[in-house]
Parts: sequence; structure tokens; C-alpha cells
Amino acid sequence: MDHTRSSKLTWLLIAIVGALTVCPVLMLVLGSFSEGLTAFGDFTTDKYVEVYTDPAFFEVMLNTTIFVLGSSTLSTVLAVFLAYLNTRTDIPFKFLFKIISIIPMMIPHLLFSVSWALLLNPSNGLINLGLMEAFSLDNAPFNIYSMWGMILIEGLLDLPIAYLIIAPAMASFDVALEESSRVSGASSWRTLFRITLPVLRPAILAAFILGVVRSLASFAVPSVIGMPGRVQVLATHLYEMIATGFATDYGKAAALGMSVLVASVTLIVVYRALTAESEKYVTIAGRGFRPTVIELGKARMPLFFVVGVLSFVLIVLPVAVLLYTSFVPYSMVPSARAFSMMSLKHWHDVLSDPISLLSLKNSLFLAVVGATLGVILSIFVAYVIVKVKTRASGVLDSLSYLSFSFPGIVIGVGFMWFFVQTPLYATIWALLLGYIATYLPYGIRPMSSAFIQIHSHLEESSLVCGASPLTTMRRIIVPLLVPGIVSGWILMASMFVRELTLSVVLSRPGTEVLAVQILRFSEDGLWGRLSALGIVMIGISTALVVTATLIGNRFRTV
Amino acid sequence: MDIRIRGVSKYYYSEGKTIKALDDVNLTIPANQIFTLLGPSGCGKTTLLRCIVGLEMPDTGEISIGDDVVWSKDRNISVPPEKRGLGMVFQTYAIWPHMTVFDNVAYPLQVRGAAKDRIRESVAKTLRFVQLEGFEGRPATKLSGGQQQRVALARALVAEPRVILFDEPLSNLDAKLREETRKELRAFLGKLQITAVYVTHDRVEALALSDSIAVMRSGQIIEIGTPKKIYFDADHRFVADFIGRANLVKARVRGVEGGYTMVDCGLGVIACQQRDVAVGSEATLCIRPEFIRIVGGEAPAAKNLVNGRIESLVFVGEAYEAEIRVGDEQLLAKIDPDAKLDEGDAVSFTLDPAHCLLVAV
Repeated sequence: MDHTRSSKLTWLLIAIVGALTVCPVLMLVLGSFSEGLTAFGDFTTDKYVEVYTDPAFFEVMLNTTIFVLGSSTLSTVLAVFLAYLNTRTDIPFKFLFKIISIIPMMIPHLLFSVSWALLLNPSNGLINLGLMEAFSLDNAPFNIYSMWGMILIEGLLDLPIAYLIIAPAMASFDVALEESSRVSGASSWRTLFRITLPVLRPAILAAFILGVVRSLASFAVPSVIGMPGRVQVLATHLYEMIATGFATDYGKAAALGMSVLVASVTLIVVYRALTAESEKYVTIAGRGFRPTVIELGKARMPLFFVVGVLSFVLIVLPVAVLLYTSFVPYSMVPSARAFSMMSLKHWHDVLSDPISLLSLKNSLFLAVVGATLGVILSIFVAYVIVKVKTRASGVLDSLSYLSFSFPGIVIGVGFMWFFVQTPLYATIWALLLGYIATYLPYGIRPMSSAFIQIHSHLEESSLVCGASPLTTMRRIIVPLLVPGIVSGWILMASMFVRELTLSVVLSRPGTEVLAVQILRFSEDGLWGRLSALGIVMIGISTALVVTATLIGNRFRTV
Repeated sequence: MDIRIRGVSKYYYSEGKTIKALDDVNLTIPANQIFTLLGPSGCGKTTLLRCIVGLEMPDTGEISIGDDVVWSKDRNISVPPEKRGLGMVFQTYAIWPHMTVFDNVAYPLQVRGAAKDRIRESVAKTLRFVQLEGFEGRPATKLSGGQQQRVALARALVAEPRVILFDEPLSNLDAKLREETRKELRAFLGKLQITAVYVTHDRVEALALSDSIAVMRSGQIIEIGTPKKIYFDADHRFVADFIGRANLVKARVRGVEGGYTMVDCGLGVIACQQRDVAVGSEATLCIRPEFIRIVGGEAPAAKNLVNGRIESLVFVGEAYEAEIRVGDEQLLAKIDPDAKLDEGDAVSFTLDPAHCLLVAV
């Protein structure tokens, strides 16, 4: 592509991506200084004063801090533990670790939270009921509707992403660093704390910070676990301003959202700096590198048991609980009686419920159309970022990374301020635009790595061999891009199928989506219908992920 | 097929500065020779190769391959790379990862629309030639570095190109494999009667492979010659220094005497290979370490006898590397490993005038 055409393309993309990412932020800022949705432009600072002097605000901040730090610590510690076991020890069944790292793709956060509420809620949680029966207790021993419940669930949910950051760093760790510590006379524990963990510090910190950003933006856990227990965090506090009560106030929501957004963006900047540093830190020289494996000896089976329990808790249990609940008439401990009472009633109810069907239709539409448009945009953006290396393409890179830090519910409020001014308000297209803007980095990343893989020599050698540019495109470039396109599409589609945080703000009667409908069921306590619809959602996500993996493998082996 | 390059320049613009990657290069690469472009990184050798193959467009000049002008700024001729009918081996090999060995090698014939039978025959023949028989069905990425290199060579050769070009093809191999592959490549090219242009920064590779070497620096060709000419008889100090280890001693020309050019330098009066230089002018005396001959016992009255002292002595296997001090000059010498010498010993050595090279300052 010649110079002027590629620079035109770069500026066009900057305009599109800029509109998608900067526009909601700008509207959020303007909105936070406005009187109200219908009085956009009447500027006031009242909303800030109202929000930040509210006596409840202090408690919300305190809760948020405990929740965010607690869950990030839990996920990081678990991730370090699992990554160490997988990369450095002879623990059996290592494939489990790979499964642990990809399940968040299959089980949406909302359903994971719901399944734990079904197990551990104080009135009829299955585990509580079972324990009360077994030990003839008067009160439920566990209450998931509490701060510790929130931390536990959010920590488990953020575990896979922390693992994906820490495990590669651990795997590429140069063992000579440890060995020289041992030779110098340090014990293996001392080596772990003085050498291994400090060298991995950038990766561990990066995982922790990403955990903070994600839990700050998390809405599923605070709404399903926190709200019934009256543990308010920023996300739910904001949600109450726009969704419950008679006086919804998008101005106050915007003012509150500003602080969440600023915190998020700052943390993501720190995160980027840290990941850049961790790449610098970890170096391996020479080929045929293999880290030495530590023999666990007697600890092997007990440690494996811990991993097994974690996998069970993360993967099998949530699905099993939902499946079980979708068949039984009301919450009861599994027993002969429960199994005899099983029926397809909830499934029938859901599949004949017009709103549920509409939400299914809307979600599928958003997944297919949204992912297709998102991937097309991603292809061009990734091309410019990777292949056209100008200052303008650097701007595009930063812009496209920006939305990675957007807390969905906050940016939803920004979009709300925007869409109300346009005819798109309350249409499916509002959701479509919002989805693509918020999840664009997830499409760009696989496409970028696909483009990076295509070294310019691969193109050039085809030309020298006598192939025309068109033939080169058809026989060399496109086949090499296909795996990236497929995985980008699937990733976006599966995220759109279960999208919750943006949708709770933007969805209106007629544009319900699956996750919003599930949240309504949860608020109404319709657990059976919720479970049936949830299983449908998991089915769609799983089918997408499995197809992606199969297609990916197919291309990799050729 | 010879290649003629006339007045080719190529500029890059970076941060407001113009960088001359190629600066008015004039060069004729003779047919059916292995011709090497040698120089330090950034000297423009790869840019020149990419201009020949058509992946870069020069800013001035004309390039012709055989009778065809493939690039001319003035006549506005620009033949795209796919129409030049060349073969090229890339530094990264550029083996397409989604294709088998067969598909990689067959590609140039497929895009030319050759018949299936002919393709199968030619691919088999070429793979036999590079000793990769039976590898047809393998995924190309599952091969070792040396094997990938031969696939790249087979792909470059299969369509019987007029010219084959190599862009540092051995630089990704480890030292031992590099030496083996270099020998193989020499053997392959020797059988072929083809014009080969080879780019490298490795002087040993250049000396071992080439029929002719062109040494480049900052976008210009400094000197062209056979490997022996370049090594023993370079005209330029830069070339003499770049092609091998050399002691460079400042000298002043005294005059010509008995077929030798005599110079004054820190080693005394030295007889050198005759050169056409003005009496009284400054020059650089270039002496390669292996031509410093230690004289044992009674020193005979030979030409260019110099006395010095051994400052350091390092055993490197096939020889001692000694630093010998003579007055203010310090010379690096390669000495027989069985010489009975110690650090601090006084030594005498002779310099064969044929290997005392005078180069421009």
C-alpha cells in the first residue's frame, strides 16, 4: 500500500476508534456537569457535591476498597500458587491448568455468582440446607451475601486472568538465577522469597493491578452477592442511582463514575508500564531451554487434591448446580425425592416466555453482527498498528487500548448521555455500538498477533517467486490471517453473548439481552427459570469456544 | 546473465535528516559468478540487493539484468519483483508456515501456471539437488534451521531463475552448521552455472564463497576484486582492515629501491610491495599477524628484520597470539604453537615485502 493511502486509512481509523472510545468519556464528563438527561448543557457542579458529600459514600468507598484489594490478593496468590505448581513441579494432570485458564470464556461471571448464591445463601442455599439437615443446625452456617462471599467469588473469577499473566513469566524464568542462589548457600524457601518472587514481581504486580481494575468494574458479583446482603460498592451504588427508585439521576451517576473511570485508566497505565518491564526482566538465553522440575515427593498428591478441588469449584460445580436447579421445582437438597420431582417446567416456562426469547434473539444478533463488524474494524486497526509504523498509528494504538480500562457500567452511563441525544436511544444499535467500542481491544489483540506473525519476508518472497500482489494476498496473507480472524470473532462473540455491565445501563424494554434477563430473574428469585436460561447461555458460549479451539488447532497443525 | 547498475542512489528520510543508503553506485556483476556484497551493517548492501530484486525503488539511476532494463528513473521503467524472474533466499528463509515443503517449493511454478506433472517433476528434481528427498509432505516449519535453509534454496532455484540472490542466508545458523552449509552452498552453486549475488557481513563467508567481492561502506562501493586480491592486495585501508585482522602502522614513503617501495615507520625502514605513491607522502603500512615470522637464534641478514619484545602471549590452540612491542608500535603476531617463548623475551622477526601492504591513509 502506498504512503498516502495508508496515512488516509490511519486517520480514518483514528476518527472511528476515537469516536467510539472518546465520545462516551466526553459525554460522561459533560453529563456529570449537567442538570439531567433532558437538560443536557445546563451546567452545574451540584451533582459532584451531592454524590461526594452523601454520608453513604464513605461506607461505599470503604467497602469497595476492601472488596477490590481482597479479591485481587486472593486471585493473585492462587495464581502464583497454581502457576508455580504447573511450570515448576511434577504435579500430575497438567492439562487441568490449561482448563482453569480458559473457563472464564465458558462460564459467565453472572452465572458463576448465581450458582454460588444457590449453594451458600442463608435461607435455602443447598450446602447450607445439607449441613443443617446433617448436623441438625437451627441456622445456616454460611452466608454468601457478605463481604467475604464477594471477595471469594470475585477472587475465583479473576484467578484465570491472573494465571494467564503469571504462568508465562514463570515458564520463561531463567532457572540459573535460582540455581546460583542455591549454590551460594540459600535454602529453597529462601531462594523462593529472595530470588524467584522478586524477579517475577513485575508480572505478579501486573496481575494484581489487572485484578483491581476488573473487580472495580465488576458488576455481576456486587449485584448478585452484594446487594442482597446490603454490601454496597461503587458499581452497585451507581446502578441504584440509575435503575432503582423513582428518581433516576444520570448526572449523579456520571459524577460518581468519573472517579471510577479515572482510577481505572490510571491503573491500566501502570499495568502497561509493568508488563513492559516484566518483558524486560525475564530473559532466557540459548535454545533447548527447559526449567528444572522440582519433585514434590510426598506433597504431590495433597497438592494435586487442592488443584482438583479448585478445578471442581471453578468448573464443574457451577454448571452442575444450575443444571440441577433448572429441573427441580424449588431449592432442595439433592435426594431421591428431589430427583423424582424433576421436570422440564422451568425450561418450558423460559422457552415460552416472550421476553426471554426476545433476549435470546437480541443476544444472538449482537454476537453475530457485533463480532463481525468488530473483527472487520479490528483487522484494519491491527494492520495499521503492526504494519504502518507512523506516529499516527501510535496514536491509534493508544486509543484502541484505552477502552480496555473502561468499567462497563460507567462507560454505559457515558453512552447513555450520548444516545439520548440521538435517535439510536433504546434501539439494538445503541447496544451494538457500545459493545464494539468497549470490547474492541479483544478483537484487535488476536489480529495484531496474526499480523506480527506475517513477517514482511513472507510477502516479499512470494513476490520474488513471481506471484502477483493479488495472488500473494490470496495464497499467503489471508491463509495466515484466518486463525487470528476466527479467534478474534469467537472471542468477541462469546463476550457479547454474556455481556452484562454495559447492557444493564443501555438495555430498554424491547432490547433486553440474555444477561439482563438473567439478572431480572435473580432479582425476582426465579431461580429455576434463571438456571434454564443460564444453561442456554453457557451452551452458546461453550459451543463458540470449542469451535474456536478446533479451528485454531486445525490451522496450527498444517 | 550479468547485472549492470548505473548511478543508483537511495535516500531515506528520518526525523528531518536524509540518510544516503546508496550513494551513486556503479557496478557490473559478471554472469555466472558468485558475487558478494560485503560490508558492516548499515553499509547499504542489503538495500542494493533489494533494489536489484525490486523490493526497493532507488531514487536515481538504472538497473539492467541481462538485456532487460528493470529499473530506470529517467526512462520511467519499473518492473515489479514478480516480473523479474529471479530467485531469492531471505535472511529469515521466509518459509510459509501454512504450507508443506512441497507446496513451498512448488509455489513459483504454480504461480507461473505450470502443468501439474511438470511441477511434480521439477520439485522432485530440485529437492534431490538440495538433498531433501522424501521431505515433500512435511510441514515446512517442522524442519531444522539447516533444512529450512535448503527449502528456501530449492524454492529460489526451482523455476530456473536468471539470477539468484542471497540476503545473509547463513546468519541464523549456529557456527558449526554455518560452516557446513557454506560448503554445501558453494558446491551447489558450483554445479549450477548461475549468477549469484550474495550479501553478508561475515568476511570468512565472503572469502570462502565468492568469485568476486565488492566491499561497501556508507552506501558506496569501496573496492572490488577476487578474494585473494581483497585479502592480500587491498587498495584501501578500510578494506584491508575489514577483511581480516591487520596491524596498521603509519608510514612515510622514502622512494623505490630494487623493485620495492621503501617506507619509514615506527619499525624502521621497511621494504614493501611496490606501489605507485609519491615520495614523501603519508601512507599506512598494513601487516597481517600471520606474516610476522619470528627468527630464532642467529639473526640472518634478511630484508625487513625488526627487533622487539614480547609483551603478552596468549595460547589460542592453533597458535600463540603475541603482542610485540617495537619502539612505540605494538604489533599483533601469530606465532607457531611450539615456539619456546615467554612474555618479556626479546625477539627478532622478519616481514616478507610481498606481504607488506601500503594502503591509502
